[in-house]
Amino acid sequence: MSTPASDRDNIVCEARQVWTVFDDNVVHENLNLQVRAGQIVALVGGSGSGKTTLLRHIVGLTVPTRGEIFLFGENLNEVDRLKQQRLMNRLGMLFQQGALFSALSVYDNIAFPLRELKQFDEETICRLVMHKLSLVELEPKHGLLLPAQLSGGMIKRVGLARALALEPELLVLDEPTAGLDPDRSKKFIELIKQLKHTLGLTVLFVTHDLDTLAQMADRVAVLADKRIVADCALSELGTIDHPFVNNFFHDISARMERAQ
Amino acid sequence: MAAASFHIELDQQGRPHIRLLGQWSLRSLENDFAALKTSLAPYFSDPFTSWDLQQVEQLDTAAAAVLWAGWGAKIDNRISLTDEQREIFDMLGRLDISIRVRKQPDLIGPVANLGKMAFEFMAHLRDFIQLLGLLFMEILYVLRRPREFPLREFSANIYKSGVTALPISALLGFMIGIALGYLMSKQLRAFGADIFIVNILGLGIIRELGPMLMAVLVAGRSGSAMTAQIGVMRVTEEIDALTTMGISRILRVVLPKVLGLTFVAPFLVLWTSAWSLLGGAMSANIELGISFHFFFEYLPTVVQPVNLTLSLIKGLLFGFVVTLIACHFGLRVKPNTESLSMSTTSSVVTAITAVILIDAQFAILTRGIGI
Repeated sequence: MSTPASDRDNIVCEARQVWTVFDDNVVHENLNLQVRAGQIVALVGGSGSGKTTLLRHIVGLTVPTRGEIFLFGENLNEVDRLKQQRLMNRLGMLFQQGALFSALSVYDNIAFPLRELKQFDEETICRLVMHKLSLVELEPKHGLLLPAQLSGGMIKRVGLARALALEPELLVLDEPTAGLDPDRSKKFIELIKQLKHTLGLTVLFVTHDLDTLAQMADRVAVLADKRIVADCALSELGTIDHPFVNNFFHDISARMERAQ
Repeated sequence: MAAASFHIELDQQGRPHIRLLGQWSLRSLENDFAALKTSLAPYFSDPFTSWDLQQVEQLDTAAAAVLWAGWGAKIDNRISLTDEQREIFDMLGRLDISIRVRKQPDLIGPVANLGKMAFEFMAHLRDFIQLLGLLFMEILYVLRRPREFPLREFSANIYKSGVTALPISALLGFMIGIALGYLMSKQLRAFGADIFIVNILGLGIIRELGPMLMAVLVAGRSGSAMTAQIGVMRVTEEIDALTTMGISRILRVVLPKVLGLTFVAPFLVLWTSAWSLLGGAMSANIELGISFHFFFEYLPTVVQPVNLTLSLIKGLLFGFVVTLIACHFGLRVKPNTESLSMSTTSSVVTAITAVILIDAQFAILTRGIGI
């Protein structure tokens, strides 16, 4: 099966025949996944199905036992260090707990990746930090706070602002709404969708929360039986014959109806 | 994707007209805005230069901010933009960057810092005395209700800071004993005073070196571990969880550590001193030919047994002080990594300093005993 060239260019990240084996435990078996530019893809699956492991492979934190991960058409593990760093700059990751540097203020957290580039003077950095703060709807005065002084929702926002600091093309979110109340989580989803629109992002996220999924995703990749059993739009899930997907589709369609 | 570049043309009057081309964004990996800014610098300051951004493929806020700063934070009619680009610059102009501007040279800073340090010291002292008081109250409480005594934690601490410290303290004591014994032997032989090696090593190790060595070892090994442990328990709110279960943090966390280490410290002193003496005796044996039998038989006659009592009292005191300081700093850790590392360092440094100060005081107070 050949893929047209224009379609090939569109692929932001791709997992090709990935195997992950921990001791005797096979987590992924010949797994394939493609994420195309401009999509919001949700990665779902039962607990312990290896969603987060796959996410960590994609952002380059871990290396699969076998198989290859491509980011923007390049294999992260085969390019040299400088190229690797620049490739990593094209993706932003929001960790589940925010992973803010606790010794740095909010301002310095967001400025950190910008300073690492060593291309901007402090005034420009300040302007860019303020821009990122305004993007995630925080005020300049919040920049002076330390991560320990922030509420759960604010930590997520600052984490998002830091992930967006280098204007990445791919945004990777690990449980973006975990630990937020329904109202906050709804606002956070709105924010991500709006940012996706204004900045032209591609978003890949992992979630357990069906509401988040129904509100945010326009494509779903279902991880079950150690591989991707479905990769399609939410509404097409019903056409796939797999016990986990059927069960899952049943739950989600009830929610979608309620939302409408 | 083409990297960011620019093209310079001169018009009829010789005024430069600059056209920006390509991807003016961080997404294009070859871009280096520091270099672009340097090469554009002469035109930024030239008021007759006109700029054309309409052929730029993509402009992101990072690139826009660099240009904006170059143009002196304003857009005028020399610069031609698309509507979309104008929006980006307008947005940049609206941002409030006053947060950075407040930096001014601070002349009274050093003096103010000195004052702050004094206040900080007072705060530490107050908290420390408070902790001491709370601990005393908890001990009284436990005496009235012995069933509440945290026996498991107490024995766990004896094992962690006492039993597991045995190999390292033995090795350290033995090595220092050998080194000391060797150096002393050399000196004493020159005066023909070989026999005094027993006096010097006996008194020096039992009365001074043993407790000191134990204190330094325990401060570095168990003190730092305690500060870090309590600190992380604070960061992860485990301490608060204890309180919400109605369990006193002092009773469950601080008391077993303090009592455990205080209990085990005299034994560690004995252990360390014994190995040091053994090392010293070995050196004396090799260098001066003094037999082990003679060394240890002669020892009690020249070193009064009261010295051993003093040494054990010191051990108790040092163990108590080191743990209490470790717990004090642990309870002051704020929930960030910097504070954790600072508190752990301060804990060890303060504990060792305090032990040395107390030791000096002790030496003066007990100068008439046992010598």
